Amino acid sequence: MSWYYIEGILIQSCYTLLIVLGLSILTGYTGMFSFGHAGFVCIGAYIAVICTMSFGLPYLAALLIAGLVAMALGALLGKITLNLKGDYFCIATLGVGEAIRLIFNNLQLSWTVNGKEFVLDGAKGIASIPLKTTLWGDWRALFRGEIGTFFSSFFSSSLLIVIIFVAATALLMNSKHGRSMLAVREDELAAQMSGINTFRSKMLAMCMSALYAGIAGGMLAHYFGYLQPKMFMMVKSTEYTIMVIFGGMGSITGAVLGTVLLCALPELLRAVGDWRLVMYGLAVIIIMIVRPRGLMGGKEITDLKIFRALFATKKKPTLPAEDGGGADS
Amino acid sequence: MRKSMKKLLALTLTCLMLLGLMACGEKGGDGGSGGGDTIKLGWMGSLTGDQAAYGKCESQTLIMLIEEKNAEGGILGKQIELVYYDTKGDAQEAVNVAKRLCAQDKVCAIIGPNASGQCIAIQSVLDEYKISDMSTVATNEKVTVQDGVLKEYNFRVCFLDPQQGNIAGTFVKDYLKFDKAAVLYDVNDDYALGLKDNFIRVFEEKGGTVVAQEGYTNGDTDFTAQLTKIKEANPQIIFAPIFYQDYIMMHKQARTLGIELPFLGGDGCASEVLFDAADELDGSYVINHVSLVDPSADAYRARYSERWGGAKMELNGYMAHDAFLLWCAAVEKAGSDDPQAIAKAYCEVEVDGMAGHIKISPEDHNPVGKSGCVERIDGKNKTYVFETYIAAE
Amino acid sequence: MQYFLQQLVNGICLGGMYALMSVGYSLVYSIMNFSNFAHGGVIMVGAYVGYFTLTALGCPFFVSFLLCGVGSGLLAVIIERLVYSPLRKRHAPSLYFIISAMGASIFLENFVIAAIDGTPRNFPTLFSNSINIGGISLGVDSLMMIVVSVVALLILMFIIQKTKVGLAIRACSYSEKASTLMGINGDLVIFTIFLMGGVLAGFAGMLYGMRFIVRPTIGQVTNKSFVAAVFGGLGSLPGAIVGSVLLGVMEIFVASFNSNLRDLFVYGLLILVLVVKPSGLMGKVVEDKA
Repeated sequence: MSWYYIEGILIQSCYTLLIVLGLSILTGYTGMFSFGHAGFVCIGAYIAVICTMSFGLPYLAALLIAGLVAMALGALLGKITLNLKGDYFCIATLGVGEAIRLIFNNLQLSWTVNGKEFVLDGAKGIASIPLKTTLWGDWRALFRGEIGTFFSSFFSSSLLIVIIFVAATALLMNSKHGRSMLAVREDELAAQMSGINTFRSKMLAMCMSALYAGIAGGMLAHYFGYLQPKMFMMVKSTEYTIMVIFGGMGSITGAVLGTVLLCALPELLRAVGDWRLVMYGLAVIIIMIVRPRGLMGGKEITDLKIFRALFATKKKPTLPAEDGGGADS
Repeated sequence: MRKSMKKLLALTLTCLMLLGLMACGEKGGDGGSGGGDTIKLGWMGSLTGDQAAYGKCESQTLIMLIEEKNAEGGILGKQIELVYYDTKGDAQEAVNVAKRLCAQDKVCAIIGPNASGQCIAIQSVLDEYKISDMSTVATNEKVTVQDGVLKEYNFRVCFLDPQQGNIAGTFVKDYLKFDKAAVLYDVNDDYALGLKDNFIRVFEEKGGTVVAQEGYTNGDTDFTAQLTKIKEANPQIIFAPIFYQDYIMMHKQARTLGIELPFLGGDGCASEVLFDAADELDGSYVINHVSLVDPSADAYRARYSERWGGAKMELNGYMAHDAFLLWCAAVEKAGSDDPQAIAKAYCEVEVDGMAGHIKISPEDHNPVGKSGCVERIDGKNKTYVFETYIAAE
Repeated sequence: MQYFLQQLVNGICLGGMYALMSVGYSLVYSIMNFSNFAHGGVIMVGAYVGYFTLTALGCPFFVSFLLCGVGSGLLAVIIERLVYSPLRKRHAPSLYFIISAMGASIFLENFVIAAIDGTPRNFPTLFSNSINIGGISLGVDSLMMIVVSVVALLILMFIIQKTKVGLAIRACSYSEKASTLMGINGDLVIFTIFLMGGVLAGFAGMLYGMRFIVRPTIGQVTNKSFVAAVFGGLGSLPGAIVGSVLLGVMEIFVASFNSNLRDLFVYGLLILVLVVKPSGLMGKVVEDKA
């Protein structure tokens, strides 16, 4: 296997992982299914590209803005759709995802900033986007003695961003808010009765997952160098959801495993040619039947016997909601 | 707090493991090298998805041609090996495939993919690896030249959207002498949009009027609303720069609605499948890169059909054939399978392909002096009738 | 006026096809409370059965039409047995069903691509003439579609309203647990609804193929018929039919106003319905439980 090829898959795994982590907060921890997540990724990608290409902002700032805009949109959508139950919420997100893509498809705008014209031309897409997404920064610059270049690329490297967000997710899930989310997933009515503001928990989950998706969208756009609304079809949203399920709902380790495996699986199965997507579909069904709680079954790597034997930690309760959704430290 | 510390520790550990894995990968990657007794040619395109038919025809054409070439002794005394992958018609997949072809399989050149979007998406990979790509049917301008900058490793054997728009406009106004045309196109598709814009520009410059412009979204199958509106506007011809499945559906619905007008389709319409709906399509026109009824290509079609169990050849078969000829000529000219030498040789060789004499311009990496062919569909005999050649420029 | 009527007829034709498809979604939802996304795949397979029986076997129209129904019905039942039944036995949450359904739909679509190929196929022309009443054209195939939809849906309504099996289905749709306790065979009921939904899917596939084209990625149309089912109220059969026809007509009028807004309108409507009245036009009221 050549490194460049693997690196590509790893970068893709990184930003996909970011999306899946966000979706995991929404789906795995809070129990709300979204089939429109590609819409948030789409928004993030476009906003980030507009920021870097038209306004000349640095990559990191563009990612941040992309994330925040997606988050604002998430909050807006949450406001109107979060009170829907089960299937209906899922259908609403399906509609939202498709609608966002269709809007970008029909959007024809152009404006000039600093004498540079920028054109949004609907379905034709945007080409020549600067390639800024790296796996772990430009190490070669370090050897050349260009410390500044190295640091700026290192701080915006996919791996660093993903590590930060994995840690942030872990912290969030162990906080009061995270436990409230779990409580909502297990039994919304009971959670409400024990004094949890379920709407606020759901809203937080929605905003966080939109933020993650927006940032990942920016990374995606600057990895491919080409952007087209067609890249965000509903199938993508389904794929992200399947990754969450595959890894196991309510587990960060599961999200990581699910993403890396499912990103690599189509590549490994490439040898089988036409039949690889057939097997992909089959794998999803079999997992649902044989091990419906996914690979990790809602557990973290820290819960595994082998890990505990190695680090001699105590088993923590698998359902943190038992603590009354509260005190952690 | 202690728990989260532990979790953080765990995560750091996972990441370290991941890093270790990557380091291993890096070492492995440097070890391999190309060369050997074969010359590797890469192909990528849709083998699944909406445009699977095109991709399948392209890959099958290449497999057949390479078998024939190898039977004759190969090229530069070496056998040719085709490495081909499916892109699902997805730009994201195309980037992965391009990386795989360039970095792992170490091909000397790539042919395909069969859509402009994918060709544009893989440009950065080609630049990084300095391996050339010869597009078969990617007609978008941005494939070879972007914002005035030449894409060093992107080439194509087909004409461009503006040229095809020009052919369509000239055909309707000057050949058919029609003044009123309607356009029905896919708003999701960059190919359709490019053709539509260029057709309208040329047609109106020549003094024609576009009486109706109706769009639909990719995946739509019902065009009755748009067709009824077009019927009201009373054009003489309907220009439909779309793919053949939509072209067929449009005809079926138009005839049901009592619209007996001819349609004019772009190069994406040309397909053998059209003749399955021959009754409805009778009298409509299709723009093409080559004449699909040219008797000089009969033998070639027969060979393809024999090799692939009676399969019908699509347009992509002709274009892949020409791309392959160019590649062979370039390899011979370069005298080696060095990717950069081949890329350089592409602009120096000239071949006589299925679509006429082909020479790639060094300025924009597009073929020079292309012309388009317009054919009418004869529904009764289930064949094309050659109408005219129109110069692309 | 003539233009208006023509568009109305176009809309009703489209709606008729949506109705045949959306009934399948609603049937399953009414008992099992999940959106069966594999239904689109079943419709697609039905269309292929129709194509091959017509062209390769040379069956007459009505024979291949029936074979479509049989083929799709069997497929739907097989999917239920292999995919949903194990989940049902375990009382898995409905979200697992949706994911499995998605998996089944990915499987079916790509199985057809791998086993046959992705080339779109065109049905042989069966009914090419069209009727012209006062300047309004209506294709015989469109007329067929409406007639078949109406007849099939009437038969379905009859089964559900007047027969014992129908009674069992209605009972189960109120409460599956209670009705199984009352001695109704829940498995049989589920078998029946999947069979009925599948047969209708087969008919829809055949009619779809005749009017349009047969290809593995039939998805977009089935997505819209799903929207129609939600619009009418998931789980309600009359709702699915009314919702489909309304959606078809509205879609055509939006498209004739500005064709670019068509899909935006469909999905916008979906969101609006869900926000304002999630139970749709005629759906059963969702109980407030998590």
